[in-house]
Amino acid sequence: MVLLKKLYQKKYLMPLLAAAVIIALVAWKPYVLVQGLQRGGLYALIALPMALILGIVGIINLAHGEFMMLGAYFVYWFCIHTGIDPLVAMTIAFVAFFLIGAIVYLVTIKHVLKAPELNQLLLTFGIAMVLTEFANLLWTSQARKLHLSYVYSSAKVGSLTFGTFGFIYPVAAIVVLVGLLVFLKYTRTGQAALAVGQNPRGAKLVGIDVNRTYLLIFSLSIAIVAAIGALFLTRHSIFPAVGSPYTMKSFCLIAMAGIGNLTGVLWVGFGLGIAEALVLSFQGYGGWADVVFFAVLVAVIMVKSYRRKIA
Amino acid sequence: MTKKWKVSSRVFVSLLAIALVVGMAFMAVAEDSVTTIKLGAINPLADITGAQMSKAMQLAVDEINAAGGVLGRPLELIVIDSEFDPAKGAAAIEKLATVDNVDVFIGGMASGVHMGEIPILKKYEKVTVWAGSAMHLCEEALEGCDWYFHLHPWDYQQGASYVQGWADIVNKFPEVQINNAFWAYEEGAFGSGSFAGSVALHTNWNNSGESFKSAALGGGDYSAVLQHAKAANPDIFVWIGYAADALPIMEQSTEIGFNPPLFVGSPPGWPADFGQSPLAENVVAYGMWAPSIKNISEVSNHFWNAYIEKFDEEPATYFCPLGYTNVYVVAEAIARAGSLEKEALILALEETAYDSPLGEILTFTPSNVIKHQGFQGQKILQWQNGEQQVIWPFDYATAGIVYPFTGN
Repeated sequence: MVLLKKLYQKKYLMPLLAAAVIIALVAWKPYVLVQGLQRGGLYALIALPMALILGIVGIINLAHGEFMMLGAYFVYWFCIHTGIDPLVAMTIAFVAFFLIGAIVYLVTIKHVLKAPELNQLLLTFGIAMVLTEFANLLWTSQARKLHLSYVYSSAKVGSLTFGTFGFIYPVAAIVVLVGLLVFLKYTRTGQAALAVGQNPRGAKLVGIDVNRTYLLIFSLSIAIVAAIGALFLTRHSIFPAVGSPYTMKSFCLIAMAGIGNLTGVLWVGFGLGIAEALVLSFQGYGGWADVVFFAVLVAVIMVKSYRRKIA
Repeated sequence: MTKKWKVSSRVFVSLLAIALVVGMAFMAVAEDSVTTIKLGAINPLADITGAQMSKAMQLAVDEINAAGGVLGRPLELIVIDSEFDPAKGAAAIEKLATVDNVDVFIGGMASGVHMGEIPILKKYEKVTVWAGSAMHLCEEALEGCDWYFHLHPWDYQQGASYVQGWADIVNKFPEVQINNAFWAYEEGAFGSGSFAGSVALHTNWNNSGESFKSAALGGGDYSAVLQHAKAANPDIFVWIGYAADALPIMEQSTEIGFNPPLFVGSPPGWPADFGQSPLAENVVAYGMWAPSIKNISEVSNHFWNAYIEKFDEEPATYFCPLGYTNVYVVAEAIARAGSLEKEALILALEETAYDSPLGEILTFTPSNVIKHQGFQGQKILQWQNGEQQVIWPFDYATAGIVYPFTGN
């Protein structure tokens, strides 16, 4: 007990627990670890741009998944007409959606920054509806998927055969996380954005252009999530409603990690991905995966609230 | 006095203008109702199934009108979007019956929506020739409704046709052996209902199965269910889900080296470009129609070419030829009846023998509950060289089965 307390105080407990879980899974059900990391990596990857907006602009963007869907359609369309690979087209999506994000911010978001949170939610929900219907009109509800031979590449370790391309999600999540952390900590614009996120009034007093910072962060987040749409497209079918479930999952991840905690989003994503994969590994209990997801969410929020009370 | 007269004349002229406009409108409505035969359809227009079905209906209406209409009168198609919402479907029937005063109800799909529409259909008891909706609960709700004609096979008929189909295939091709079956089904009502029904019918197979979360509902990772299927080593693997699941399931099966001898997919529609993937090769599918039927059916060939010419797109779902069939069946029955009188029209519909673009001659016979059931079962198809081929029923077959499935 004393040892556990010491480990907890020195922040070794969680890494040790994580290591123990990983070792146990490798020995017991290695494919759970593979699936969990790939699944969790995707969750974290999609949640990171939403966490950026929520942490700095302070808006819950309910159209987050829809921007990913539009990004995926943009890349799909681009690939079909030009023949280039989606991993290349994602850079074009990044630039295009940076501009689209800026327009959306200037036309809509900017005007509700000081409005009650319910109004902000309604606005972004409305944007989500418009984007979904827009996609429906343009591309119909028929599912579309690019055929890419490299997405089903596999490896064999002992008796375990598993897909390797799915690891692009955790790798991309780490790249996006590191990129955002470097931007926020080591660039003047990023530091200004952090200051705005912590105290917009104070930031304004020291000469930071708060509105411009909001514009930049919102546009950057939309650009990132649209580029993620290209990665999503490689392994998933796309259709107008494909993005909305990821908005909810992203929000849950952020709620668990804590607003402004980008690194936490990554760990929570992996944790939930592995928890889901573990539940799914028991045949006939797959339906419990969502229950586990939201049960963990409730548990984490309750523990956090308990800790705050004690503090 | 002059001022008073001026005011009165203005009022008079205004009243005259209003009377003229209203009168012309009434005349237009009256003339319209005299000259056109109105068909009212309720389709989900945002979905490709409903959108293409509506287009195919319009194609049939245009063809019939170009040939002089029915009983010397043109057909008029009025389509309302159900939005996959039972309440909206019910309201649409109400509007078509009271505001548009349609002569026959046609179209329609999605059993959940139809359950909401049935009470309103029963309220007006107009002649109805319904295209879609397979759930047997809809049929039970329509017991005793002799004015109701149904085209799509009911769920139990579909299941029975697959049982018969596989039995015939096993008999004809001795190399095809089916003892163990694994069913991967989406966790919603569609998948779990289909799984329960299929297992109840395929009693000669050792069945096991597991649900998965469809991409259409926020899922898209099938690795767990595929690992379990691989461990079960089935002779036939059937997945029941949506179009969005089709290619990712094939990719993830390839990833883990899962290649059962028969790989069957049972979505309501396939993705637009599924056939272009090499992973589609030799995948077996269930459906009412395949484009290859145009090679053995003149009507199907005509429909295929006319649809592409008019809409510059290929029919991608069997609801497309089904909608076309729907209009022709009604139009031919009206012509046979010689009037729109309800009893005469019902009798004429009962005499239907329409050579449909689905490759079969459509007739109406009793099913378990209703008196007028059209198509009796589905077909077993297989993707071969990027095209769906019919492999069963053998009477409509466009190719033989390729066995076993080898994967990529």
